[in-house]
Amino acid sequence: MSIAREAYRALESIVGPEHISEDPVTCRAYRTKSYRRETAYETICMAPECVVMPKTTDEVQRIVRVCNRYKVPYTPTSTYWYATSSPKKPNELMIDLKRMNKLEINDKHMYAIVESGVVYGQLQQEALDRGLYTMVSGGGSQVSVICNHINQGWSPLNYRTGLIGRRTLGIEWVLPDGEILRLGSLALNEDDYSWGEGIGPDLRGILRGASGWMGAMGIVTRLATKLIPFQPERLEPTGISPDTTLMLPQNRIRWYNFNLPNRESLERAMYELGWHEIAAAATKVPVLWRYIARAKSKEDFWRLWSQVTPEEIASTHILRILVVGYTSEEQLDYEERVLMDIMERLGGEFRRTKPSDESWIKNADSAGMWWMTGGYVSIEYVIETIQHGVKQGVAIADLKKKFVPPLVNDFGDPGWFQAVELGHGDYSEFLTYWDPDDKEYYKADQMYLETMKLNIDKGFYSSFLNAQPIWLTGPAFGPNYHLWQIRVKKAFDSDNLSNPPGLECYDEIVERSDHLTRDWEKGSMEEVV
Amino acid sequence: MVNPPKLEQYQYDMERCIHCGGCRWVDHIYTPGVRFGVKCPSIARFEFDEYAAYGREEIGLALLKGELDYSPRFIDAVFQCQLCGACDAGCKRNLDLEPLLTLETLRARCVADGQGPLPAHKKVADNIAKTHNRYGSPHKNRPQWLADDIKPAAKADMLYFVGCASSYTATSLAQATARILQASGAEFMLLGGEECCGYPLYATGQVDAFIKQMERNLEALKKSGASTVIVNCAECYKTWRVDYPKVLGKSTADMGFTVMHIVEYVDQQLKDGKIKFKNPVEMKLTYHDSCNLGRLSEPSIYWEGTRGKYGCLEPSKEYRRGTYGIYQPPRDILAAIPGVELVEMYRHHENTWCCGAGGGVRDANKDFALWTAQDRLEEAQDVGAEAIVSACPYCKENFSEAIKNGKEKLKAYDIVELIAQAMKVRGGKR
Repeated sequence: MSIAREAYRALESIVGPEHISEDPVTCRAYRTKSYRRETAYETICMAPECVVMPKTTDEVQRIVRVCNRYKVPYTPTSTYWYATSSPKKPNELMIDLKRMNKLEINDKHMYAIVESGVVYGQLQQEALDRGLYTMVSGGGSQVSVICNHINQGWSPLNYRTGLIGRRTLGIEWVLPDGEILRLGSLALNEDDYSWGEGIGPDLRGILRGASGWMGAMGIVTRLATKLIPFQPERLEPTGISPDTTLMLPQNRIRWYNFNLPNRESLERAMYELGWHEIAAAATKVPVLWRYIARAKSKEDFWRLWSQVTPEEIASTHILRILVVGYTSEEQLDYEERVLMDIMERLGGEFRRTKPSDESWIKNADSAGMWWMTGGYVSIEYVIETIQHGVKQGVAIADLKKKFVPPLVNDFGDPGWFQAVELGHGDYSEFLTYWDPDDKEYYKADQMYLETMKLNIDKGFYSSFLNAQPIWLTGPAFGPNYHLWQIRVKKAFDSDNLSNPPGLECYDEIVERSDHLTRDWEKGSMEEVV
Repeated sequence: MVNPPKLEQYQYDMERCIHCGGCRWVDHIYTPGVRFGVKCPSIARFEFDEYAAYGREEIGLALLKGELDYSPRFIDAVFQCQLCGACDAGCKRNLDLEPLLTLETLRARCVADGQGPLPAHKKVADNIAKTHNRYGSPHKNRPQWLADDIKPAAKADMLYFVGCASSYTATSLAQATARILQASGAEFMLLGGEECCGYPLYATGQVDAFIKQMERNLEALKKSGASTVIVNCAECYKTWRVDYPKVLGKSTADMGFTVMHIVEYVDQQLKDGKIKFKNPVEMKLTYHDSCNLGRLSEPSIYWEGTRGKYGCLEPSKEYRRGTYGIYQPPRDILAAIPGVELVEMYRHHENTWCCGAGGGVRDANKDFALWTAQDRLEEAQDVGAEAIVSACPYCKENFSEAIKNGKEKLKAYDIVELIAQAMKVRGGKR
């Protein structure tokens, strides 16, 4: 199979013969990428029939128009780490945006304009060089800044920087039909990216959706993101792989680890940090991650982890806090004194920390999630209140017991959660690990589905709605949000060409998988008007 | 017993590649930003994913499973790469996988299946078979680099293995190396009838020819009685130190001889006070880590065992992650030369951007080799260097040609030229 010859020739005329390929070798190299690949997503993901690599917005626009003219389904990608961004329909075109890698920083107004191929590590360093900073996604420094901004944008640093939607400014957006829409101040002045809310249209809510459309709403080619003033000292890169790290200037940035007596005091500590408006980040870290950090090899990890007891997990409530003296050394001293007061009152026991960072400021180790087992997926992630995060984590940990093994036993650890926006919110994420060669690997998918049902049953929220069966979660969370999402999608992309099946992706996965059973009523996108 | 690795041994590695791009980007801790933020020349130049390690793992796996057949594009993707190992060090920062060994064995598989070598690589192999050097120059000319003042011993514990480049095209480097050894009081011998180390064969998947070459060299070394092989070429260094034991199914430590690069020797002599740099070299320099002396030079550690639950190995394997390459000695040497101002490029140590010459690329696609060198020269210029210094004749050759073709006002040196000048021995930089 291949895309229509007329369409191919039209695409070739746009990018030139050197930037288009339908060779089976190229297409195979673009087959399903990693994240979620080892799950039931594998049943739906396939190689594209053609790959095209535009360099400019104009080329993107013309490519999308050709797709609409010849009804060629297309999937945009840049760093392409997520199986959801894999082609899922026959005869798809993959639009690889990695050549679009311009980055401009406006020092005066403290924002950066990025194209699709720019990744967080690059943006963060160029911001740091100017005394500014941004967050780096939990997915890692290798994540495309644009993709992450129009998707989720979670990071421990959101505690201070605020959620990503609030920092997203002017946007240049090639709609699914090829029209260009400029949002915010960009709508009136093509050089002004400084404001997201107008005077021009502000459709960021639609663009970002519940937690992103994964390329099902066209292609954002340029986006501006707000940068935040940082402290002035240099973070010195040190070490040789695998032990590379940023040395933190101790007069300005320090880590603090405290083990709290119980979950309630940990939750209380998170609130109190926010009430006193101190710290740059505050996270409860899964115990398993601490063992990953200590291990020298995969085998070493399993030797260490085999000695862990349920009692150790039950009594470990580590709160990891980053404090930054943004304005002065005195700020750091003040915040440290307040922190110590809070911890003394709550019984926090100080634990040793390193004067360096390799995972929050310039995240370099997210790929290590796969290191110990070869299989990893986040079962759930949510932005809600701290209280919600704690309760949901405990409930999911309890559910997980049904699926251990094959899932790695972490003895009821309720996952990772962190305070967001000075404690006004919480981000929590529940992770699972397994051996992809295990014959019962599919139980990871079963737990994934069971978690959605648990959320519905217990009234927990989910931010993972872009990767769930909409006909299961839509009626429960909406009761009609899924219908409105479908209507929006149809309004922008009537032929459903942009990363199909889009909204119904996980519904199709459930239908195709031998190990997942649908026990809810399924509607049809076609019938929604 | 000869025991070259097979592609099947790396199926797990190909299946478990998570496409994170650690093979492509400079370690994010060290990244300078967008410009100079990529460390893999192949994906930077050719852009489609089959030219990155993660794409090669995917197509290698498809070949192994019979889901993809050979084609010109397949061969191109496999051979348009310097085997510089940037991918390997990047991957192993976070994962226990072997992308470079996978690619090496993928090349060997192509050749074994009659899909290689590339014509240019075949020509080099023919040259080596006929004349024992990669250039096809007469073997009798090999010792012509020897100047009158250079007096190797008939027998010595240290054997200077000159290599093809220094014997034929960069003879001043051989002369400088020999004079440095002499001036330091070292007694060294040469290998009568020295032949190519075999790097161009192994790197291009021509494993059978490589094995023959290796066996001849090891036999010659045995006959010489020397216990230390000293080289000034990074390719020779890695071949003797890493590839010979790897193909033999041994560890470097069990080979019965020591391999030393001239920078290791000079560094030790400097620290012991046996060498002194008296002559100033007034220049702002940047040091380029040759891939084969840096991240790829860690000794081979033979591993045999089984893979179990979660992919754990029994016994545990010690991975070569590029951590213990020869990084500091050349920097310490340059810093010790009076007048030298040493500046670091953005991509250094295990994150180095290749000079472009290795892996058979300069033989088969000179444009790509020079494009790669050009990018490195721009980086050197960006940090304000007047000259770029490496410790491999092939790096110098490739940089020099790129400088000649381009507009950079840089100079390219091999480190032995600067050492020789600083020591006031003949053969220093001109």
